[in-house]
Amino acid sequence: MAVASVPLRAEVLSLLRSLLKTARKFGDYNIREYARRRAVDGFRENKELLDPSAIAAAFAEGTSQLEVAKRQASVYTLYAPSAKSVMEIIIIHFGNTGRVVMIATA
Amino acid sequence: MATAAASRLLRRALNPAVARRRFSTAAVAAETPPSPLPSATGEEEAGMVSMKGVRISGRPLYLDMQATTPVDPRVLDAMLPFYLSRFGNPHSRTHLYGWESESAVEAARASVAALVAADPKEIFFTSGATESNNISVKGLMRFHRARKHHVITTQTEHKCVLDSCRHLQQEGFEITYLPVRPDGLVDLGHLADAIRPDTGLVSVMAVNNEIGVVQPLEEIGRICREKGVVFHTDAAQALGKIPIDVEKMGIGLMSLSGHKIYGPKGVGALYVRRRPRVRIEPQMNGGGQERGIRSGTVPTPLVVGMGAACDIAMKEMNYDGRRISALQERLLNGIRAKLDGVVVNGSMEHRYPGNLNLSFAYVEGESLLMGLKEVAVSSGSACTSASLEPSYVLRALGVDEDMAHTSIRFGIGRFTTEAEIDKAIELTVGQVEKLREMSPLYEMVKEGIDIKSIQWAQH
Repeated sequence: MAVASVPLRAEVLSLLRSLLKTARKFGDYNIREYARRRAVDGFRENKELLDPSAIAAAFAEGTSQLEVAKRQASVYTLYAPSAKSVMEIIIIHFGNTGRVVMIATA
Repeated sequence: MATAAASRLLRRALNPAVARRRFSTAAVAAETPPSPLPSATGEEEAGMVSMKGVRISGRPLYLDMQATTPVDPRVLDAMLPFYLSRFGNPHSRTHLYGWESESAVEAARASVAALVAADPKEIFFTSGATESNNISVKGLMRFHRARKHHVITTQTEHKCVLDSCRHLQQEGFEITYLPVRPDGLVDLGHLADAIRPDTGLVSVMAVNNEIGVVQPLEEIGRICREKGVVFHTDAAQALGKIPIDVEKMGIGLMSLSGHKIYGPKGVGALYVRRRPRVRIEPQMNGGGQERGIRSGTVPTPLVVGMGAACDIAMKEMNYDGRRISALQERLLNGIRAKLDGVVVNGSMEHRYPGNLNLSFAYVEGESLLMGLKEVAVSSGSACTSASLEPSYVLRALGVDEDMAHTSIRFGIGRFTTEAEIDKAIELTVGQVEKLREMSPLYEMVKEGIDIKSIQWAQH
């Protein structure tokens, strides 16, 4: 098996950016927020790693998670329900009559 | 003119295909707007959801993690190949389909075993924790029917354990249902006293599904080991959330569930100790699969899903645990800041943070739930919510009838966000305040009258 090489700083940032971009594609509110949050927290936790093999292992793990996220983003899009989560819905009331004028998705 | 622009904006906002195309990239091939799924709900026009006479503006936010959890996308990713091309039966010994299926099942078995510090040979896959509980209670006692006639369990166990015990009673066994303290914990002195020479099994669940209380497993295991009794624990709610070690906790039998740890529904596992060997009588007879303990084709995709869920739980236990504790604190403080008369059911110290069972004084439970339709929570446990009687677990804690009726169980999980907690606080506080405003009982309490001292006139 090939020894994993230590990634460059640019590669690490590019991986994080890809993970965040893929996270945005999830139609499901909870999964989307989790993917974004977990990616950011994961990278923050591993920021201080010094050992090259640990860095390479974390990078490899991140890359495989990116593949999983890309596949699942498609699956979740294919099967998205037509009603959105209440967390994504903005209800705009007209003045102070309490009448609902518009229901839009966030 | 304003109305034409407004209606155009409305149409664009409500059309999911248009919204999605703005963010799509060439890389993801399947970005074509999908044909709408056959709708499970009554009607879904303009994104509104209408079912059972209730109309809500969208899908409710989910705070019922003890009933079930959403499948983690990483788990689904592991399962899908076994529904598509790798569909073999793991017990087919003669071709690739069987071999790859079997190796996937064995890998999953190792994942489950690793999470509880057991040997893979001690893990058997079943259809869920209910089946595992049935096998543990009935299978063990029926095997030792000649010399062991007594079972000890608690009054707050899951219905499947209590029902299995009741079934054994009809067969002639004796059952002791230990009471619990008002904080939900079992009294270790009472437990030790209740053990007799002919006691075959002690069954105490690790984390209670209704109130979230964590029992002192290590102490119970030590008592059982000293007295030579097998210790069974229903760890369905505990797996992957609190650290479980079958050696340290002296566990002889353990029931595990897939759909409580972000895995698929329909699969569970049973841990059966090998040293010293725990003997049980199988309850599902057939082709001798799973070493004869549980016959029936092992469902590869489900088992792979459970294995993946266990792998993820092992890696994420600390991260999730920290987050969920913080969210529980946020929820409790948020509600207590705006409302008085809020009681937490069960011990706060010995608790799994993702389960918060609250009672709201001077409020009627059913009407509280009816007003909380945008939050998916439960009152009482899902298994018994069909009946109107208050939860037997709360009754065992000694909670008053009226407080037991107004209990709400908030379940926080891996995917819960701060925004959802804040919205849940807002909705709950709003609904409770609205109900209390209408309540003459609350008015009397505010005037200082003690409700329990009132003599109600007979009409």
